[in-house]
Amino acid sequence: MNQKIKILVVEDEKNIRSFITSVLSSQQYQVITAATGKEGLSQAASWCPDLILLDLGLPDMDGMELIQKIRGWSDLPIIVISARIQEDDKVKALDQGADDYITKPFGNSELLARIRTALRHSIRPQTDRPYRCKGLIIDFEKRLVTREGTEIHLTQNEFKIVSFLAKNCGKVILYDRLIEHIWGPYSENDNTILRVNMANIRRKIEPDPAEPVYIFTEIGVGYRMAEEE
Amino acid sequence: MNATAGKNRSITWVQTGPERNYNMKTYIWKLFTDFVELISHTHTFHAHFSLLFTVGVTTAATAIAGAYHMINPAGAANISLIYILAIIQISYHTDKYRYGIFTAICSVFFINYFFTYPFNEFNFTMAGYPLTFLAMYFISILTSATTFHLKDQAQKLQESEKLILEAEKEKLRANLLRAVSHDLRTPLTSMIGASASYLENGTSFTAEEKRELVMQICEDANWLLHMVENLLSVTRITQGGSDVLKKTPEAVEEVLFDTITTIKKRYPDMQIHTAIPDEFLTAPMDPLLIKQVILNLLENSWFHARSERPVECSLSGDEQSVCIHVRDFGAGIPPEKLDSIFDAAPSAPTSASDTRKGMGIGLSICKAIITAHGGTIRALNHSDGTEFCFTLPKEDTHFEPEDQDTRC
Repeated sequence: MNQKIKILVVEDEKNIRSFITSVLSSQQYQVITAATGKEGLSQAASWCPDLILLDLGLPDMDGMELIQKIRGWSDLPIIVISARIQEDDKVKALDQGADDYITKPFGNSELLARIRTALRHSIRPQTDRPYRCKGLIIDFEKRLVTREGTEIHLTQNEFKIVSFLAKNCGKVILYDRLIEHIWGPYSENDNTILRVNMANIRRKIEPDPAEPVYIFTEIGVGYRMAEEE
Repeated sequence: MNATAGKNRSITWVQTGPERNYNMKTYIWKLFTDFVELISHTHTFHAHFSLLFTVGVTTAATAIAGAYHMINPAGAANISLIYILAIIQISYHTDKYRYGIFTAICSVFFINYFFTYPFNEFNFTMAGYPLTFLAMYFISILTSATTFHLKDQAQKLQESEKLILEAEKEKLRANLLRAVSHDLRTPLTSMIGASASYLENGTSFTAEEKRELVMQICEDANWLLHMVENLLSVTRITQGGSDVLKKTPEAVEEVLFDTITTIKKRYPDMQIHTAIPDEFLTAPMDPLLIKQVILNLLENSWFHARSERPVECSLSGDEQSVCIHVRDFGAGIPPEKLDSIFDAAPSAPTSASDTRKGMGIGLSICKAIITAHGGTIRALNHSDGTEFCFTLPKEDTHFEPEDQDTRC
């Protein structure tokens, strides 16, 4: 029998904790719960879960602090559950090392999809094998992008952006991370140039730029590339 | 006793003497000491500005007049015109009569001294001299009076406009509150009713009926949630006034895509056709608020218009603004309602379909958001349904300095 995947849920609201537990248990995950930040830390240390679902608004400590502490000794995937509608908090949590976020209220299917993506990324090592999704193939070695067999010409920066997103497909990539990756750490903190590049990429790789299927925008946070098939 | 009384009186007399002299002096030199006082006692920028302006313009007029006099020594009449122009300028730009009058007097003296025969000498016996003096005096007074009046009226107008704006805001708030309490209560009642009947008579329901009840609760809860999100967006606008919207330059197409992803998650059956121009458009905005506007318009077309064909959502732009259109192919809006559709009037629901999904709130929130961005929103009927479109200015009139810092 396979070892069950362990998920630690750190959430102070009892109703939400119980509903998440029932959803996850029904999907054959083993669920450990914690109601406070302190409890969450000790559970994380003693159980070594495969993934943490963390509510940012905890009664005893700030969720950000918890992320920092866990990141001190482990890079197990952390998905942040945020009730705050402000995008700044999500960005801050991702910046601190969280892998992904999900905004309250969320649907069950959305939650499960995020968990699967995060687990896949933690298990699969970074490889250079091509990215494939809905007819789009990105060959990182040959620096070649094709859609339905037709080659798509991208500029150097456009290719850098697309391949960075594709290597992290399914995960949201912050604007700042992308800018830093493409233009270096001391580049201007100006999103416009990134946006213009993204608009060009969209017009080149999407079958219909008005209805993107490969690269999705998360307003105020960043971009997310569709999961591989 | 008498002696002391006499002594006292004499002291009093001695004291009042110099005071009277002083009063007489100030009376005579009033005009000139006024200016000295202005410099030494009034430290307001405005008074200094007026004084400097007066001196500056008078000097400039004299200089011009001098130059003109050198070219054409016989043109004394034109020189008074130059001074009259200076008087008008000074009366117009200063806030007290005395500056204009002072210039008028100076002008008369200068014209007399520099520019009329005999030159560089005073000669007040010339014919027509009192007329020139009086004319300049009246010009300065009249101009000052007219400008005061104008300034005063402009200020009054501004104040009354502010009051009207306040009253409108208050009205919007009151209407919203009324609409909200009505619209919140309805789905809550239905949720409580459905869950209570499930708990009380759960055993007698068939599986199908149970599912129906839970689905109803789920639908109402979702609707409530969207409503609360709408209300939250209102607090984002009203936080500290409409001028401090947290605007950032955003790619409009990305906001549109993000919104469509969200709405497709909410209503998987909804069909939307999107169109974007080749041109890359950006506009300063609070993207979450604009997303809320597009969400409301799309949701509206889904619930109210019952569009038979896919809703069309398109983006266009001209030199000053970007425009987003949401076009449905449904019932349309009664023409008499078109004008008031954005005014949160919690109108008695007219058709059965509108009893629950509060249409008024969503649209009035759209209007509030767009207005706060300096844009416009309107609704119009076309042959097969309704089109909503809103514009956002491309240039931000109040660009916050910290944004500029990050850009350069």
